[in-house]
Amino acid sequence: MSRADRGAPRGMVPLVVRREISTRVRERSFLISTVITLLIVGAVVAIPAVVNSGDDKISVGLVGNTTTVQSALEQAAKVQDVTVTVTSYADEAAARSAVEAGDADAVFLGTDRVLVDSELGGKTEQVVQTAYRQAAAADRITAAGLDAAAVSRALNVPPLAVTAIDPPDPDSDSRRGAAFFGVLLLYFQLIGYGVWVALGVVEEKSSRVVELLLATLRPWQLLTGKVIGIGLLGLGQLVLTGLVGIVAALATGVVDVPSGIAGVAGQVLIWFLLGFAFYACLYAALASLVSRQEEVQNVTAPLSVLLVGSFFLALGAQGSPDSGLSRVTSIVPPFSTMVMPIRWASGNVPLWEVGLSMLLMVIAVVLLIRVAGRIYAGAVLRSGPRVRIKEALAAGKDSDRAVVRS
Amino acid sequence: MLELDGLTKRYGDTVALSNLSFSVRPGEVYGFVGANGAGKTTAMRIMLGVLAADAGEVRWQRQPVTFETRRRFGYMPEERGLYPKMRVAEHLVYLARLHGLDAPAAARAADELTERLGVAERRNDAVEKLSLGNQQRVQLAAALVHGPEVLVLDEPFSGLDPVGVDALAGVLLERARGGVPVVFSSHQLDLVERLCDSVGIINGGRMVATGTVAELRAQEGTRQLVVTVPDAPPGWTSGLPGVTVVSERRGEQVLELADGVDDQQILAAAARAGRVEQFSWRQPTLTELFREAVSEGDQDEAGAGPVRQGAVA
Repeated sequence: MSRADRGAPRGMVPLVVRREISTRVRERSFLISTVITLLIVGAVVAIPAVVNSGDDKISVGLVGNTTTVQSALEQAAKVQDVTVTVTSYADEAAARSAVEAGDADAVFLGTDRVLVDSELGGKTEQVVQTAYRQAAAADRITAAGLDAAAVSRALNVPPLAVTAIDPPDPDSDSRRGAAFFGVLLLYFQLIGYGVWVALGVVEEKSSRVVELLLATLRPWQLLTGKVIGIGLLGLGQLVLTGLVGIVAALATGVVDVPSGIAGVAGQVLIWFLLGFAFYACLYAALASLVSRQEEVQNVTAPLSVLLVGSFFLALGAQGSPDSGLSRVTSIVPPFSTMVMPIRWASGNVPLWEVGLSMLLMVIAVVLLIRVAGRIYAGAVLRSGPRVRIKEALAAGKDSDRAVVRS
Repeated sequence: MLELDGLTKRYGDTVALSNLSFSVRPGEVYGFVGANGAGKTTAMRIMLGVLAADAGEVRWQRQPVTFETRRRFGYMPEERGLYPKMRVAEHLVYLARLHGLDAPAAARAADELTERLGVAERRNDAVEKLSLGNQQRVQLAAALVHGPEVLVLDEPFSGLDPVGVDALAGVLLERARGGVPVVFSSHQLDLVERLCDSVGIINGGRMVATGTVAELRAQEGTRQLVVTVPDAPPGWTSGLPGVTVVSERRGEQVLELADGVDDQQILAAAARAGRVEQFSWRQPTLTELFREAVSEGDQDEAGAGPVRQGAVA
C-alpha cells in the first residue's frame, strides 16, 4: 500500500463527530426521546387551545316575548367576538330538554331569568349578562318615556385616552412564557445530553476501545469529537422542538407569536451552546474517572445538583426577574445558562449584563476545556477503581508531555 | 527495523520495565514471552505510545517513533476493545479512516479482511452479537485494516480455537512475508516456537534471553539424551562416568552428559543392559528454555539486591 494516500491527522475530529451522530441517531433511545419531547411540546401548546375552543360558538335559546333580548344578544356577541345562535323554544319544558341535551348553552325564560345546565360561565356568561343588562336598560328607558336611541348615544362615551411614559410591552407575557418553556427544554437537553456524553466516555473506557483509539487519536481529539457530535444532536433536537412548538402555537392560535420570540429562541440557543460546552466537559471529565456504567450516576451527581439548582434559580427569576439574587445568578456561570434567558425575556436587562454574563461563561468554558481535557487524558486509560481527580490531573499532565516529547 | 532501546518504566516503587531492549527486522515474527506481570503489556503499550516510558526510546527505520509514525502501526491491545454496538464493517472502516485511509480504501480493506478472517457474513452485525472467537477475529482485523507498517499484538491467540489460531497465524505470516515486522506476546509457547523467527523472554521487566530459538538452545547448551531400555535392571547407568540421570521412568532414562563423554559408550552400555528401543538427543522445548531463563533471571535478581519484587508478581 502506498504511503502517499495517508492524510495528516487533521480531519480526525470530524470523523469522531460523524461516528457519534451516525451511531446515535440509530439508537432507539434517541428516537423515543425525540418523539416524546415533540409530543410533550405539541400537547403543552395544543391543550389550552382545545380547552378554550368550545367558547367561540355559543347557542342561546329564548322562551316568550323577548325581542329586545334577541337584538341585544346579537350585539353583545359581536362585541365579544363570538358566534351566537339564537333559537326560540315553545315553553320551559322544551327549553329544559334542549339545555339538557347540550343544544343550548343558556335559555332566557322571559327577560330576567336564564336557564343553564350547571352554571353560567365563560364567554356565554359575558354575552348573556351584557345582553340582559342592555335589554333591561332599554326597557326601563322606554318605560320612563325617554328616547332610547338618544340615551344610548349620550351614554356612548369614547374610551379615556391614556398616555404612558413607559408603556408595558404587550408581548411581554407571551415572551416570558416562551422563555420559561425554552429554559425547561434547555434543562432537559443539558441533563440528557450531558449524561449521554458521560455514558459515551465510560462506554469507550469499559469496552477498552479507547486504547485502540488513542493509538491514533489524541485524547483531546476524541473528547472534542464526542462533545461536538452529541452537542449537535442535542442542538438539532432543540431546534426541532422549538420549531414544532412555534408552528403548533401558530396553528392553534393559542398565542400570536410575538415579535420577541426570535430573540428568546436566540437566547436559548446561545445558552444551550455555552451551557452544553460547560457541562459536557465536566460530564466527560468526571465520567473518565470511573470504569463502569453503574458508577456514572454517582460520579456525576454534583452536576445534577448544579443543573437542578440552576433551574430553581431560573424559576425564582421567572417570579422576580429584578431581584438581587436573579441579577447575580444571571451573570455568574454556570447559573447564567438558565437564569439569563428568563431575565432577558422580562425585558429589563441592560445589554451590558447580557454581554458580561456571556463573556464570563465563555471564559469559564475555555478554562474548563483545558482542565477537563487534562483530567480526561490522565484518567481515560486507567481502568479499575475510581481514579482521583488529583491523580488524573497529574497523569494528564504527564501524558500531554509524552505526546509532545515523542 | 523496529528497535526498542533501554525502555524503563516505573509505577511508584514498582519497576515494570528495566532497560529493555530488542529489535525486530522487517518480515520477522518476534515472539514476546514472559510470565504474567513480566512487563510484556507495558512494553507494547509504550511501543504504541499509549504509555510514556520514563527512559529509553522506540525507533522505526532509525527514527524515534512519533505520534505520526505510530498511526501507521497496527495494534491489538491486551484488553480487547471495540464498540459493542457498532456494526463490524462500519467499525473497521471507522478505524481505517482514523488511520488515514480514504473512504473507498477503508471499505475495500474491511471487506478483504472480514473475508480473509472468516467473518464476512457477520459484516452487518453489531460487534456484541458475535461469539468471542469471532470478536477476536474482528479485533485482529482492526489491527490490520489500515495496512500497518508494524504489527504489535498483545496475546492475539488467547481464547481462539485451533481453526481460529490457524486463520490468524496465516494472516500474520502473510503480513510478515510482505515485509512487516510482527511482535506478538503469547503464553502458548508451542505456537511461539512454531511461528516465530525470534523470541524474547522477559522476566521482571528485564530481557533475560533473546534470539532465534536455535540460538537460545545453543546458549542453553545442556542437551539431554533419552535412552529407553525397557527390560534393563534399574540403575544400569549408575556406574557410567560423567553421566547425570535427570529422570527415570519405566525403563526410560533422561541423561545429561558431562563434557567429553562419548555418547557411543553410553549406547554400548545400554545395549549390554537390554534391548534398546530409543536412543536420541532431545532439543529442549521453548517451554523448557523459558523455565530455565526465568529461573536464572530470578536468581540473578536475588543476587542483585532487594528490588523489583512487585514487578515479578
